[in-house]
Amino acid sequence: MAETVTISIDGQSYQVPKGANLVDAAKLHGTDIPVFCYHPKMKPVGMCRMCLVELGSVTVNRESGKPDLDEHGQPVIRWQPKLQTACTQTVSEGMAIRTSTAKVVEARDDILEFILTSHPLDCPICDKGGECPLQNLTMAYGPGESQFLYDDKQHLAKHVPLGELIYLDRERCIQCARCTRFCDEVVGDDVLAFHERGRKLQIVTVSDPPFDTKFSGNTTDICPVGALTTADFRFGARPWELSEVPSICPHCPVGCNISASTRLDRDSGGKKVIKRIMPRQNEQVNEIWICDKGRFGHHHSLSSNRLQTPMLKKDGAWVEIDWKTAYQEVTSRLQKYGEKVGFLAGPSLSNEDLWEMRKLARRTCRDCQIGLWPATMTGLEAVTQAGVGVGTHLAALGPESAILVIASDFEEEAPIWWLQVKQAADRGAKVMVANARPTKLDQYAKCVVRYEYGEAVEVLNHIAVFARRHDKLNQTLVEGRVDGFAELEADLKGKRVPKQHSEAAELLLDTENLVIFAGNEGLTLAQQAELMQAAANLLILTGHVARPNNGLVAVWPGANMQGALDLGFSAEATVSLLDNPPSMWVIGDADPVAEDARAAAVLDQAEFVVVSTQFMTPTAEQADLVLPVLSFAEREGTFTNAMRRVQRFYMAQTPLEGALSAWKVFAQIGSALPGGDKPRISAALVMRDIAQHVVRYAGMNYTDLAHVETQFPDVGGHDLYYGGNAYANHGGLGIQWATNAEKENYRLTVRPVSAEAPKYEDLTLIPIRLLYNRDVLFEPSTVMHARIPAPYADFNAKDAAQLGIIDGDQVVISAGDLQINVSARVNGQAPTGFVLLPIRLSQLPVPAAPAMCSVQKVEE
Amino acid sequence: MAHILLRDLDVPDIWQFDTYVANGGYAALRKSVKELSPDEVTKIVIDANLRGRGGAGFPTGRKWSFIPKTAQVKYVTVNADESEPGTFKDRQLLEGNPHQLIEGAMIAAYAIQATAVYIYCRGEFWDLAHALEDRIEEARKANLVGENVLGSGWSCDMFVHLGAGAYICGEESALLNSLQGLLGQPRVRPPFPAQMGGGLYYWPTVVNNVETLANVPWIIDHGAEAYKAIGTPESPGPKIFCLSGHVAKPGNYELPLGKTFRELIYDYAGGIPNGKKLKAILPSGASGPVLPATDEVLNAPMTYESVAALGSTLGSASFILMDEDTDMVWAAAKMIHFFKHESCGKCTPCREGTYWLDQIYHRLLRGQGTARDLEQLERVPKQMVGVTLCALGDFAANPVLSTVHHFRHEYERYIKQPALEKAGAVAEPV
Repeated sequence: MAETVTISIDGQSYQVPKGANLVDAAKLHGTDIPVFCYHPKMKPVGMCRMCLVELGSVTVNRESGKPDLDEHGQPVIRWQPKLQTACTQTVSEGMAIRTSTAKVVEARDDILEFILTSHPLDCPICDKGGECPLQNLTMAYGPGESQFLYDDKQHLAKHVPLGELIYLDRERCIQCARCTRFCDEVVGDDVLAFHERGRKLQIVTVSDPPFDTKFSGNTTDICPVGALTTADFRFGARPWELSEVPSICPHCPVGCNISASTRLDRDSGGKKVIKRIMPRQNEQVNEIWICDKGRFGHHHSLSSNRLQTPMLKKDGAWVEIDWKTAYQEVTSRLQKYGEKVGFLAGPSLSNEDLWEMRKLARRTCRDCQIGLWPATMTGLEAVTQAGVGVGTHLAALGPESAILVIASDFEEEAPIWWLQVKQAADRGAKVMVANARPTKLDQYAKCVVRYEYGEAVEVLNHIAVFARRHDKLNQTLVEGRVDGFAELEADLKGKRVPKQHSEAAELLLDTENLVIFAGNEGLTLAQQAELMQAAANLLILTGHVARPNNGLVAVWPGANMQGALDLGFSAEATVSLLDNPPSMWVIGDADPVAEDARAAAVLDQAEFVVVSTQFMTPTAEQADLVLPVLSFAEREGTFTNAMRRVQRFYMAQTPLEGALSAWKVFAQIGSALPGGDKPRISAALVMRDIAQHVVRYAGMNYTDLAHVETQFPDVGGHDLYYGGNAYANHGGLGIQWATNAEKENYRLTVRPVSAEAPKYEDLTLIPIRLLYNRDVLFEPSTVMHARIPAPYADFNAKDAAQLGIIDGDQVVISAGDLQINVSARVNGQAPTGFVLLPIRLSQLPVPAAPAMCSVQKVEE
Repeated sequence: MAHILLRDLDVPDIWQFDTYVANGGYAALRKSVKELSPDEVTKIVIDANLRGRGGAGFPTGRKWSFIPKTAQVKYVTVNADESEPGTFKDRQLLEGNPHQLIEGAMIAAYAIQATAVYIYCRGEFWDLAHALEDRIEEARKANLVGENVLGSGWSCDMFVHLGAGAYICGEESALLNSLQGLLGQPRVRPPFPAQMGGGLYYWPTVVNNVETLANVPWIIDHGAEAYKAIGTPESPGPKIFCLSGHVAKPGNYELPLGKTFRELIYDYAGGIPNGKKLKAILPSGASGPVLPATDEVLNAPMTYESVAALGSTLGSASFILMDEDTDMVWAAAKMIHFFKHESCGKCTPCREGTYWLDQIYHRLLRGQGTARDLEQLERVPKQMVGVTLCALGDFAANPVLSTVHHFRHEYERYIKQPALEKAGAVAEPV
């Protein structure tokens, strides 16, 4: 707690953070001031009038400047004649409130009576019942009975779809505007609004398609009544039947803390299943928000298409086998192929899975390659040196901070970071976006840098040059701990910095903090590696390392890409595997066949392919042996998010019969190999192994990972008014591993990077990532299908005109051997000469890196 | 005495630019811009103790002095949303003597060094607003509005904006929201409009009523002392009184503040038609408490402070008169229905309270009222008073509380026998 002020609450003096909201400050010391419209993540509006308190201030003697004292030596307080709303007050020195006088109690009682005159009181059939702030506050502060005649009640529509994901019950709505303010203030999407006035005031969606935001589900969490419900949970279960299991979202590198609300479910044969996904508070990760992909994208774990028995392909047909036979099949082949085995790990394996897979690889042969899929990003070294400091808190960044997002369509690739960066921009942080095309973050950026695809590295180099010329280097750090500076300096010397880049540099380097988010859009693996190093160079030279809110974050394409890198898997190994194909492949939860034509061809040539998977993916189809594994919801494990925070997820759901945890499968196989030890009996013990062998994870264990602390603002747990039982974090805040920059005895290395940009002369296809796609873990969530676009490619108007295509035309894009059928969009996104092609909008592969292409219109 | 505000009654065609100028128009603006500093203009208005004519009676000059000088952008917003029932003074000013408003607004703008003036007209003032734009154009051509006003180097343009017909948009912060294109709902204060973050587009803004600004040219022309000679020390200056209802000669009357109700109603407006007795007065449209027409009331001077002492408010001085035949329950029901319709719905007590009261009145008027309803008419308004975001909640409570207090016997006539109480009510608002 930085600066504090003293306020008096019900006669008791407290120290509270300066500038805090009065409601939050009172809550910090255990005084609940009831609220409906106020929410600590949004600006106060003073609408519901529930938080009325008596407000006063200490009178100060003008001459002495000291408080006037009464005969008992207590400061004299001047009380305002009218009650005031606490939510619109910011604490100040000498402020005094009374929260439990007869006047206040009566006013609360009156307000609740008013609110209930319009409320249907259908708690027995309401989804919110049991975790409803209105219900809770009525019990705590409300009148025992209403003077209002029931027949006078207004009856309104009860099933109003606001889009296909969220339903509005107009009768239950108490017009608190939390949902509209969330969309306007927090997200910045103008999709919800009030319509009409007075008692007719109602929530409507004003966008087309309706409620068009990637964060719509959050409105149901913050709704203080049951007015907003989600399509996949409404009427599905009662909150008091649900047990909350802490988990981690398996969809993107942010690593949002989620809570799986589970119950024993008749429809699922009495098994414990997930009924909904809610956000779990972790202020340093996702605060209390999750995106709709995280909320609605869990249905794969209950899909009827899940694999339940190991299957072996015999003469082209699948034969179900038992696990023992399956293990034997794999071990015998591993022994047979020995050094000619390649391993490939997917983006959603847990650290424990990866560790056991790596162990298996090491036991198979000393030099077996352990590859990472998708093989599009690398740069562990850069992150290890210059990753964001431990304790980085995006939700606290303001005018003193700069944030650079480069080569990433941020909202599509990491929605919650996008949300936090957008809000940081609102608070005055200097956000800069560098990309070859416009993205949604541009509108919040102080500075937008456009480059041609492939030139991203040059932008960072130029900023480094600017830093050197304008004395922005951290000399102490550079002279004391940095190797390779002379070479880098020689390389940077004499580079001409275009005006656009020097302006950007000035903006970025003028602040105390700098965070760089680096993606891979439009970059080959090699270029992306250079981009990471260029970012590390810049951050190290300017001293934006080793402190919270400073450093590098890679926007990895998967939930546990960071963990995979930490444990020795790499995209380089994948490339080497593809270049020198092994005879046998062991693939864990990856689907290269659906994503990459070359990988598909290579795997087709392999003699034996083993795949651990939840579904019969195209890769599994092509394999010789498939091993069914459990989803994130059915087991324990850890993911490491892209800010290097290792976070636990817990077993939420009764495991699918027949499937096993991937780590268990790999451990079992490994134990049958010569020199194999007994498999561990729990994920916790695997983590203990990891902690003993992997320096970055040294000292970590499940107990410490489960450690929680009180967070501010406190929205979880025992309060009556923020709603939802899920916010409370009982699963742990996770642990970030420290970068080398943070360890004082480590030296840091910089090196010149190759900024050579390829000259794209022909039409070039750029693969881009969309949030909503047909990824194997997301596709089964049918509730989201309306949001997944049909396969399309984005063309520049100039190119489109040249090719004779217009928006909506069907085209065939030829790139290498690939023929890709998509519809064309011409909407100003693509730069001239480039075609943007979203990956994974179908099960057919598209190029994973920029590729030359030709386009043909399909005549009807 | 010649009119200061309603000069269209004295000078035919004063709405025309040339006529206005020929009758001394725009001299005050010239004097302000050429001879006086902004602070001097403000000081004159403070000294004149001009009080806001929109209803609250806040000293105008002090309002201007709150504007931070350091702000890069400042606005004057003219509240021409005149939507209080029974108020029609601004309309006559805007139609009959528009240049006086334009001049007054420009003087206010000069005093705070505003960058623009917005005139927010109620949605129904369609024709008027378009005519006003022509008047502004005349002033603009004469270099009285717009770039480099009168060669002073100070630029300030003037725009007219039409609302969409909401009573609440006469409330200054809702007006600013509406002007910005947002939903017409009041804002949380502080910050007040005069402060950073509180005004139009969140820049410091003076919001003044039409009649208030129409006073300003005369004050600059004649000085603060001359102005204070009119009316009473606490409430100086002329005031337009809008008379409507049961009165022989309804209309606008410009009188110095401090005349009695009796003088206005009987001497100027010809009394009550058909020899009826006056029963009650609504002194400030629908929003102030009803005053019974007792001698104490009729002999009281019409000033901000004395009407307050009577337990009501002078407000915008729009008097709706009711004769002895008026059904006060019906009258209160009309007003509640109005407030229910006009409540913006932003804050709970007003949104729900007006709806509840409206239901009760409908029940009463249908002859289905019970003693319980009368109890609630005394209780529910008290739940609204003093706890709402803006004053509309208080306004809505006023007609109920005051009519129940003064005319309780009329309510009791509507109450059915206890045996009928359980029959409940069929809610079907008219």
